[in-house]
Amino acid sequence: MAVIMITNLTKQFGGLIAVENLDIEVKEQSIHSIIGPNGAGKTTLFNCITGFYRPEIGDIRLDDHSLVGLLPDQIVRHGIARTYQNIRLFPDLTAMENILVGMHSHLRAGYFGIVLSLPATRKEEKEANEEALRLLKFVNLAGKGDLLAKNLPYGDQRRLEIGRALASRPKVLCLDEPAAGMNPKESQDLMDFIRHLRDALGITILLIEHQMRVVMGISEKVTVLDYGKKIAEGTPAEVQANPLVIEAYLGRGSATKASAA
Amino acid sequence: MNPVAIQRFPGIRLGLIGGAILVLLSLIGMVEAFNQREIVSDVISMGQTLLLFTAVFIAYLAAIRGRERGQGQVFGAGIAAGLIMAGMLALLVLLGHGVNMRQVFINASPALFQALIFQQEELWAGIGLLLLAGTLTGLAGGLLCLLPDQLRHVLIGGLCSVAIVGLLQDMIAPVLSAWGPLADLNDLLFPGNGLSVSGAIGLFIAVVVLTAFWSFKGQAVQTRIQALPPKSRRGLNLAAVLVGVCVLLVLPQILGLFLSEVMTIVGLYVLLGLGLNIVVGFAGLLDLGYVAFFAIGSYTMAILTSPELGFFDWNFWQALPLAVFFGVLAGVFLGVPVLKMRGDYLAIATLGFGEIIRILVLSDFLRPWLGGAQGIGKIPKAQIAGFEFATPPQIYYLILAGCVLVGFISWRLRDSRLGRAWMAVREDEDVAQAMGINLVATKLLAFATGAGFSALSGAIFATKLGSVYPHSFNVMISINILCVIIVGGMGSMPGVAVGALALVGLPELLREFADYRLLVYGAALVAMMLLKPEGLWPEPTRQRELHETANAAEASRKAEEPAGSRS
Repeated sequence: MAVIMITNLTKQFGGLIAVENLDIEVKEQSIHSIIGPNGAGKTTLFNCITGFYRPEIGDIRLDDHSLVGLLPDQIVRHGIARTYQNIRLFPDLTAMENILVGMHSHLRAGYFGIVLSLPATRKEEKEANEEALRLLKFVNLAGKGDLLAKNLPYGDQRRLEIGRALASRPKVLCLDEPAAGMNPKESQDLMDFIRHLRDALGITILLIEHQMRVVMGISEKVTVLDYGKKIAEGTPAEVQANPLVIEAYLGRGSATKASAA
Repeated sequence: MNPVAIQRFPGIRLGLIGGAILVLLSLIGMVEAFNQREIVSDVISMGQTLLLFTAVFIAYLAAIRGRERGQGQVFGAGIAAGLIMAGMLALLVLLGHGVNMRQVFINASPALFQALIFQQEELWAGIGLLLLAGTLTGLAGGLLCLLPDQLRHVLIGGLCSVAIVGLLQDMIAPVLSAWGPLADLNDLLFPGNGLSVSGAIGLFIAVVVLTAFWSFKGQAVQTRIQALPPKSRRGLNLAAVLVGVCVLLVLPQILGLFLSEVMTIVGLYVLLGLGLNIVVGFAGLLDLGYVAFFAIGSYTMAILTSPELGFFDWNFWQALPLAVFFGVLAGVFLGVPVLKMRGDYLAIATLGFGEIIRILVLSDFLRPWLGGAQGIGKIPKAQIAGFEFATPPQIYYLILAGCVLVGFISWRLRDSRLGRAWMAVREDEDVAQAMGINLVATKLLAFATGAGFSALSGAIFATKLGSVYPHSFNVMISINILCVIIVGGMGSMPGVAVGALALVGLPELLREFADYRLLVYGAALVAMMLLKPEGLWPEPTRQRELHETANAAEASRKAEEPAGSRS
């Protein structure tokens, strides 16, 4: 059962085609990786899914609702959350506040409820605080809730960003190069954490990764992009054996040049 | 003296800067004007205090720089700075004796030079005394630098409070003397112009003892309060709030007419500041046209209540909700077109909006409805059950009620889903949107709330003055409110009150020196940004953040130092 269906997606910036005729099907509760060399269009694809860019052609559907043309805040409400390649926490808010902001989309308190501190608002706020504490614990940041996000160590910031994304109770979590800047041991820990996250919460994970080696262990399906096009798709083993993929990563042979010309 | 030497010896560089400042202060007439007021009778005047505090501060900075270059240089740098400053003043005096500078510098009078050389008959004796004073200043700077931090804070606190009490004698003395039991204390402290010597010493010792007690024991008291069970801690908080409320309630009875008037002005700025704090401090939307909503509140109140125009004849309480409503409406009206703008562009667009409103009310075209340049008069006072809010002490209560209401609303909003959404927008608009925050609704709510508070302040302002004129609503008001927030601490609500007291209350109290108001204002802002960028009363997290980065920077510097020395 596909949770995300991307069909015939194309995104251009002026004359540059960043993503071209892309079809991707993401299965529910799977860990699906998008890999590819620098500039392959991976982040552009994410930005299209989460509403930061509006694609020119094609459709993105989540559980049969089209997401094209929706604003990022509406897409979050549909159940897609994301993290960023270069961490984008709210630096001057505490870790706890970052998570609470992540919960914004499913809190209901209105202006007058807040000013009058109505019982429903108080109850909701109390529950939100408890849930935020649980989430902090879940991402291994228990006891660090009062620290400002920018003062946390790098690894903690990565995990806090994931926690903030989880706070919106997503069906699909999009992680943009979560292992960037980590050493092999740290990225292995992170991959274990991501698998645990999927198993514990039953969500779908869409993962962008630059390093093939990192994703091979945990992905159920891998899509390889190069120059905005899908060049291969399949299980990690199939993809690794694909000559086009090897070529894209190790260098372009004469065959590619000929086809480009 | 070549430039390299100036760079190498901090005492020389800072001395030259300090000397230039002192010469400037003298030549623009500040020293002489301030000399009218004695801080301690027959010992030191305000002008001398100004020079002395500046000189000691510069010498202290020089001593710190000197210490960075080696322990031996502390006094060297301090004294060098002190001597250079004194030398520059001495040169000024000599120049003044030889040449008449008054065609350019009208304040370079013989009286000024006499004051600079301590009223000595003999010129050279005076100059010697001046240089000696410079040396002593340098020594004092060096000593301050060597003292342990706590002791230094205590000493500075004592000296500053003596200076402040001396400076504000005209406000403090009437308040004290009006109050039976304190009248004796008043006679003791202020026998004539300025503090008495014994009064000054007594005050200094009292403040030093109190601050010393707090800096040594305060930590322990705080941990003890922290250790209390939540229930009694809440009780303690409640008690503190109650005491605060009582003080605020009886304040106008103690303060008398003039100080109550000052407090009403401060209160109006607190109202305005709390509103702008939501827009700028919480949501990070730089609004320079904030005075427009103040004007809209005032004019709505005036049009609805003044019999002069003859459209309506409402009373204050009927008109108030409508004034706030129109303010909110204007906030939304302004918010919609500028939604997509950020930072500088937003500031300029809102600045334009503020001017549009002012020019509209000034225009001849709208004169029949808005009164044009002559404004609208005869605005009635607010009344509750026969009690009229007419005199400053009475209006004070009206404004206090407004401040409490607005403060309460801001406090509730800040700690809510909405307040967090505002702060998220301030931090990173794109990510905030990706967290499910509707940018349009969130920003408009900030604009509308701020505008509503501002309009409330404007409505009270209109009934306080009894009339409104377009020129009351110029752009300087917007800038002043912004300064109040910055000086108090961005996003901090107690900071707004402190900022308003410092930037609006103090200048009102020191009206006789109004000529130098903008200069002091500017200098204070620059000093704030350099010394205490987080504001006078910052938000707790914000304070932690700025100091932590400073600590982190310090730590990394220390970590690098040994590595550097090894290589």
